[in-house]
Amino acid sequence: MTLLLEQVTKQFGGLAALTDVGFTVNPGEIVGVIGPNGAGKTTLFNLITGVLAPSSGRIMYQKQSLVEFKPHKITELGIARTFQNIRLFEHLTALENVVIGAHCRMKAGLWQGIWRTATQRQEEKNFREKARELLNLVGIGEDELSLAGALPYGKQRRLEIARALASQPNLLLLDEPAAGMNESETDDLQILIKKIQELGKAVILIEHDMGLVMNSCDRLVVLNFGKKIAEGIPKIIQDHPAVIEAYLGREED
Amino acid sequence: MEFLLNPYYMQLITFIIINAILGISIYLTLSTGQLSLGNAGFMSVGAYTSALLTLKAGVPLYAAVPLGGAAACLLAAIIGIPTTRLRGIYLAIATLGFGEVVRVIILNLKITNGALGLSSIPSMGVMLSKGIAAFGLAGGIGGISIRQLGSIAVILVLALILWFLIFFALRLSTSRLGRAFAAIKADEHAAEVSGIDTRYYKLLAFFMGAFVAGIAGGLAAHITFYIGPKDFAYHRAVEILLFAVLGGSDVVWGPIFGAVLLTVLPEVLRFATEYREMIYGAILVLMMAFRPQGLISESTLALWRAKLTRQPKIADQDGVTRRTTP
Repeated sequence: MTLLLEQVTKQFGGLAALTDVGFTVNPGEIVGVIGPNGAGKTTLFNLITGVLAPSSGRIMYQKQSLVEFKPHKITELGIARTFQNIRLFEHLTALENVVIGAHCRMKAGLWQGIWRTATQRQEEKNFREKARELLNLVGIGEDELSLAGALPYGKQRRLEIARALASQPNLLLLDEPAAGMNESETDDLQILIKKIQELGKAVILIEHDMGLVMNSCDRLVVLNFGKKIAEGIPKIIQDHPAVIEAYLGREED
Repeated sequence: MEFLLNPYYMQLITFIIINAILGISIYLTLSTGQLSLGNAGFMSVGAYTSALLTLKAGVPLYAAVPLGGAAACLLAAIIGIPTTRLRGIYLAIATLGFGEVVRVIILNLKITNGALGLSSIPSMGVMLSKGIAAFGLAGGIGGISIRQLGSIAVILVLALILWFLIFFALRLSTSRLGRAFAAIKADEHAAEVSGIDTRYYKLLAFFMGAFVAGIAGGLAAHITFYIGPKDFAYHRAVEILLFAVLGGSDVVWGPIFGAVLLTVLPEVLRFATEYREMIYGAILVLMMAFRPQGLISESTLALWRAKLTRQPKIADQDGVTRRTTP
């Protein structure tokens, strides 16, 4: 099991953002987290990545509790994420952004960098090469020298995924990757997510684009008002009465 | 030649180099996006430590200056651990307060001789000219007196230190650590989630800045032979900040250029006598109005590089120019 959440609760003062949420993610599985705005989806990501600490409950990654770890340590353990509102290092190049993503896998220390020792140069070369491969994987290989902030929106989303992949995660958290994308861009994204799965990585996908969610995900978790209201394969979720109610409201008799 | 060897110019050059070193010290901390105004405080710690070690303990100068840097670094650890949690203007105020605290402590301690300051600090020029004299050049060479040789040697030593620090900063900026610094400066939260231990690197940058400021302080002490608490007051902290604001803090050349300019400008404006400060102030205001990102940025360097190699300016081909932090 890659990730296990058990009775996870997060309260902001008196407001319960998440209440007793629990689900699992298996290796290589794509799990979709859906729900109306304000259902607690991004809070869930913030808890998994250590940005926020849960008020109660357990979050286990490969049988290890994540609760006491800081975000950078959790990245090092093998969980990477993207942001709902893109957060790239805008005035650095696309390639630099991806190499920064690999920071926790690189070893060169201060003086190795200053004296440019043979090992340091070799490492730089290797990781630049790996970063190029990732840029090619997400389909922006030709933009490696462009500044991240100057890239068009769709490419920035892809670059963020490449940066997250650079930390060599086992579990990738994608927060609304298709937001603001047109149909063909979303189709490309769907192919990319499948490719990531083929690399053996598990993915948790928060997304409002139902087409993408239904086609990509092996399993769905539905949140509403911070509670899990349904879980299952996309086909079943589609017709689940609680889900329909959460999205469309109850039908008057 | 005689004109250039005039002690006034020699001293101006040493001040320019020391200020350039201070410019590097603020650049190092700023490269993680931390605005620290504690550099004047760290400089005073370096200056007093080095001066006292040579005066009271007889420690040789070449050991005392690095020890001054180490003392500044130690103090940076004590105040840095709580303050580097602060961001932006809050860190600036906290570090400015720290500088004032250091100044008041120095003012009231017996060993630092209070407001009178320390005088007859062993001179670096004298030490170096003794060394030169030992080579049998006590009578000078080619019409240059031994005193002047000593001053030239001081400038050479300072230039060597400056050169190393520039080398350090440039190499750092293209290394794994430098990229982590740049990532933290750009977006601290994204950097942390990308696997960078932001707290560690911010502290490291803070230490580096403190160490370099401490070294600059030690060097200044042994060049001016006199230091007093007034030398490291609030105006000094602001002056160091101005190096970075005016020169730009994107690349290491920015604060260095700012330091050179702000050291030379008051001297050049001497002819204006009482209008000097006014003109100086007006120049600063104009600079901020027309070039708020500082005089030297990444794109300025790219432009000059292109001009020097007579190649088309890469940055403009696809309309992409480096964005600079204001």
